[in-house]
Amino acid sequence: MTAGPAAVRGSAGEVHMSRLLTLAFAVALVATACTSPQTTPSASASAAPTATAAAITRGGTAIVAIWQEPSTLAPMYGNQTVLGLVINGTVEGLADTTTDGAYVPTLATRVPDVANGGVVVKGDKMDVTWDLKPGIKWSDGDPLTSADIKYTWELWLKDPKVNTRTGFDQIESIDLPTELTAVLHYKTIYAPYPLNFSSILPKHLLEKEADVSKTDYVRRPLGTGPFKITDFKAGDSITLEKNPNYRGAPERPYLDKIIFKSVPSSQVALAQLQAGEVHAMWNLTEAQTPDVEKTTGLSLQVVPGPTVERIEMNTAVNKEFTDPNSVHPVLGDIAVRKALLYATPKQQLVDKLLFGKAKPGASPVSQGWAAYREPQEGYDPAKANKALDDAGWAKGSDGIRAKGGVRASLTYTTTTGDQLRERVQQVLVDEWKAVGIEVKIQNQPSAVFLAGSCSAKDPRKLGTYDIDMYASTPSIDPHTTMLRYNSKRIPTQADCAGENYTRFKNPTADAAIEAAGATLDLEKRKASYATALKALNDAYVIIWLYDRANIDARLDALQGWQPNVWRRFTWNMQDWWMKK
Amino acid sequence: MGRYVVRRLIQALPILLAISVASFAIMKAMPGGPLAAYEGNPDFTEADRLRLEHAFGLDQPLPLQYISWLGSFVRLDWGYSFSSHQPVLALIGERLPNTLYLMGTVFVVVLLFAIPIGVMTAVKQYSVFDHVVTGTTFAFLSTPTFWLGLLLIILFGLQLRWLPLGGMQTLGAPFDLGDRLRHLILPVATIALVQMGSHVRYLRASMLETIGQDYMRTARAKGLQERVVVLRHALKNASIPLVTVIALDMPELFVGALVTEQIFGWPGMGRLFWDSATRADYPILQGILAVSSSLIVLANLVADVAYGYLDPRIRYS
Amino acid sequence: MATSSVAVAPIAALRGPERSQLRMALERFRAHRPAVLGVLVLSALAVLAAAAPIISPYDPDKTVLLSLYEPPSLGHPFGTDDLGRDLATRILYGGRVSLSIGLLAVSVAVTIGTLVGVTAGYYGRWIDSVLMRFVDMMYSFPRLFLLILFGVFFKGMTLPVIVIVLGLLSWMTTSRLVRATFLSLKQREFVEAARCVGASDRRIIFRHILPNALAPIIVAGTLGVAAAIITESTLSFLGLGIQPPTSSWGSMLNHATTDMNKAPWIAIFPGLFIFLAVVSINFIGDGLRDALDPRHVVRKA
Repeated sequence: MTAGPAAVRGSAGEVHMSRLLTLAFAVALVATACTSPQTTPSASASAAPTATAAAITRGGTAIVAIWQEPSTLAPMYGNQTVLGLVINGTVEGLADTTTDGAYVPTLATRVPDVANGGVVVKGDKMDVTWDLKPGIKWSDGDPLTSADIKYTWELWLKDPKVNTRTGFDQIESIDLPTELTAVLHYKTIYAPYPLNFSSILPKHLLEKEADVSKTDYVRRPLGTGPFKITDFKAGDSITLEKNPNYRGAPERPYLDKIIFKSVPSSQVALAQLQAGEVHAMWNLTEAQTPDVEKTTGLSLQVVPGPTVERIEMNTAVNKEFTDPNSVHPVLGDIAVRKALLYATPKQQLVDKLLFGKAKPGASPVSQGWAAYREPQEGYDPAKANKALDDAGWAKGSDGIRAKGGVRASLTYTTTTGDQLRERVQQVLVDEWKAVGIEVKIQNQPSAVFLAGSCSAKDPRKLGTYDIDMYASTPSIDPHTTMLRYNSKRIPTQADCAGENYTRFKNPTADAAIEAAGATLDLEKRKASYATALKALNDAYVIIWLYDRANIDARLDALQGWQPNVWRRFTWNMQDWWMKK
Repeated sequence: MGRYVVRRLIQALPILLAISVASFAIMKAMPGGPLAAYEGNPDFTEADRLRLEHAFGLDQPLPLQYISWLGSFVRLDWGYSFSSHQPVLALIGERLPNTLYLMGTVFVVVLLFAIPIGVMTAVKQYSVFDHVVTGTTFAFLSTPTFWLGLLLIILFGLQLRWLPLGGMQTLGAPFDLGDRLRHLILPVATIALVQMGSHVRYLRASMLETIGQDYMRTARAKGLQERVVVLRHALKNASIPLVTVIALDMPELFVGALVTEQIFGWPGMGRLFWDSATRADYPILQGILAVSSSLIVLANLVADVAYGYLDPRIRYS
Repeated sequence: MATSSVAVAPIAALRGPERSQLRMALERFRAHRPAVLGVLVLSALAVLAAAAPIISPYDPDKTVLLSLYEPPSLGHPFGTDDLGRDLATRILYGGRVSLSIGLLAVSVAVTIGTLVGVTAGYYGRWIDSVLMRFVDMMYSFPRLFLLILFGVFFKGMTLPVIVIVLGLLSWMTTSRLVRATFLSLKQREFVEAARCVGASDRRIIFRHILPNALAPIIVAGTLGVAAAIITESTLSFLGLGIQPPTSSWGSMLNHATTDMNKAPWIAIFPGLFIFLAVVSINFIGDGLRDALDPRHVVRKA
């Protein structure tokens, strides 16, 4: 932006007028700054919080504000959370999860397992038999058959652009004895099989396409759910209409239409919710919750989720393709790692920065049948100071400790542009400085920091970081997550595939994780995971900061929401209804 | 004139090519990549990553990647987005009209106001009106666009609640001119006010310089009305440099609208660029860069030609 | 003889005291009231920013979780931000960053631009051609897009990196100005004369021709500082510039968007300071233009 190119000489009068104007402008601004913003209560009549006895009214349109637009709606290509949110009511799978982490059948008649004979183990292979419920139709009227299951598997293995083949690559072949039965021949014991087919693709629609990614399916996928996606206006909205061929019709769904409206930011979403322009909003930040709680006519749904934010410490030397056997000059000393943990005020972070809407973390598996909840030690700066003093880290004149000529100075990396993380960082930097450890913030954009490969220079893979912070979500079956703590999964130059970023090496943990992977017995697996996690926590290489909750909000007029830890709030769209 | 245009267009091609290569090199030299988005999926394995890298052509040597992109590009196949798998040309085609719609309105508004105000302040130099305008224009052209946008949102959207907080239209409702206009007001005001600041000053200086010319004295001596003198003689000559300035500003508008589109959630090209940049969606980025650098080159050409057309003293060989 | 000496004296008296070029320029500048005001405001901002540790009792980076989002009050004249830090203090310290980036970026731009312009203008012919094509190419680059690419992908956007990137993208104006001066002056007699007496190229360039280009360079440079401040604040606003905990005026506004409805003061005050600095610089630039190039002053006939 350039200034005006011409020069005009003014006389005495000019200054006064322009000055007056600037002053007036400034006064107006300051006046607006000093008035506190109004929180107008919702225009709709405030519903009594216990309106359970109200009769369900059918019909109506619900508008849900989303502030991140899904780039694709195809379940096999996408990876955004908002994708799952939008297609929850359209694309269905064979089974799903309840909020307790139990499996329930959706399109199938039952979840097969060893007890009911649905799963037959043959040595180190297994066969899983799925029976579809009869009479299910796609929203275009065609019947759902077991051929769709086989087609889903084939496409997932054939199309080079699918997101992940995990699970599908474990199936050797599929037999279709009847139109409603599919027998899957797995070539290994694959424990997470119930959710393997969480999205079934329509064979009759897609099999003739040379490249599915170039069809309309990626914007308007065809499904069997209570709603069908009828319109996708890029940058604007996604419209879902009720599916007359839904197996629960005509009773369900109650609503006629659901529209996902794309808004610029979560601020705008909240403002529109408060103004009654939308009926619900997705994924509030914790900082927005006091606003919602203050406003009458709005309800908050806070559901603990499996996502855990953690701080990892690099125990190997900070350099590219670091040698897993090298020892970090500062973080290699367990006293420093303990001190960092003891000086972390987890509860205060949760109370102040997360407004109490999260829980201090304890392990990577916070929910489900394998949940491990032994807490780490709490906030005690005195203990941190003592640990460091005892280990020989003496405070220098600038307040920063040193030992053997090595200064306790570290870098701290997370993703840029995340305000909550930046705030957490700044609080922790202060706390750690108070116990004599100097920490410098060095954030990177998520396309770099979380790039996930050595070639894209992900610092966690290369080992070019000291302390990092990010969140990770295990699936219901925690095995892939627990594999990260096995010493065979340390990324090196030769094999960059692993995710053991802290370079944690512990034979007890390794043995326990491998044992858990070899059996289908949930109790045994849970005990093995507990052993591994205890060893992990005893090494003090990771600080489990907090378990975030999924926070969504709605107008009181929109009813029927139920919490589900493992799925987003749209998991039961067929039960939603609008109060008139 | 025609030969000049053709010659300039031909000269522009190597520049566009150089820009394209340079931006490609910059994007690839930086760390990070489009596969970061798959990180959140706990089942994503290294085998999956290698497969996707191959599917997106990311494992080929860089020069080859560029050349194959260029080859498809000139055949109007601009590739496919890594994240949405939609054709890049279609994606840009979806968003470009929205940016044009916004920028077109800004353009018209700026001209509508800047010309009369610029002329009047020059004619009434040193009057109260002139001082007010000078102060205001200096203030506006010194304001960061994004701050002005924030202030307007706070004042008109949050405090007074007169105008909507963002977006192009109220969702779901049928096409309503009034609604569209209400959504246009704040983003247009944000850009136009700042632009008007500099255009008014430019026109004023240009007018003053023209008015000071000898032939103006002659016109007045001939007994012509002041209004005729000003409008017919002064304005036409003074507007020549203004035309070139406007033509040169046009491509800046496409780019500069990015921040405004971010703040107001306007679904335009600027936002597409931002979203694609954060996701390292190279095909879209290259497409947008190609479009905007072509526009800049074209605008420069239009400015030169317009200048030559309007000012008969300039002749191009 | 006596008559002529009597005639000379009153004329000499009428002429008045001798004034150097610099004096005259200063007087013209002083006559431009907004420019003087600009100098006052800008100096005040610079002094306040430099003296930040003395003026403010607060630590600009230390988080105070107990006083988040406090509205303006006596203890906190501009309120507190999302981590309880005093906004006024952060604005003062942020001023150091924003103002110095503006100044340093322009220094880089002017240096590069002068070198390029001198080379193109003095040596001419094919060197000029190549360099001007290069300048054209740089002009055709969509600047903001490029800045964003840099910011998104570059590993560490520290102050020196930002300064260099901004400088690298804005040297073209200076180079064109310098080149124009050189092209027009290179054929003049005084240059020929200098060559005749055996002056080296370097001497001719720096001692004889370049000083004539100083005036437009200074004006363009001053306005460039304003532009650099705005560009840096836009970048930081988008989250791509200065990284926390260091603050610049623009990066403080980055946090403001999410808290607009509960704490509008976080959005208003940092931007106000950007505005004050930029408007002062623009006025100063205007005044400098008047002072250094009196032919530019336009007046109604």
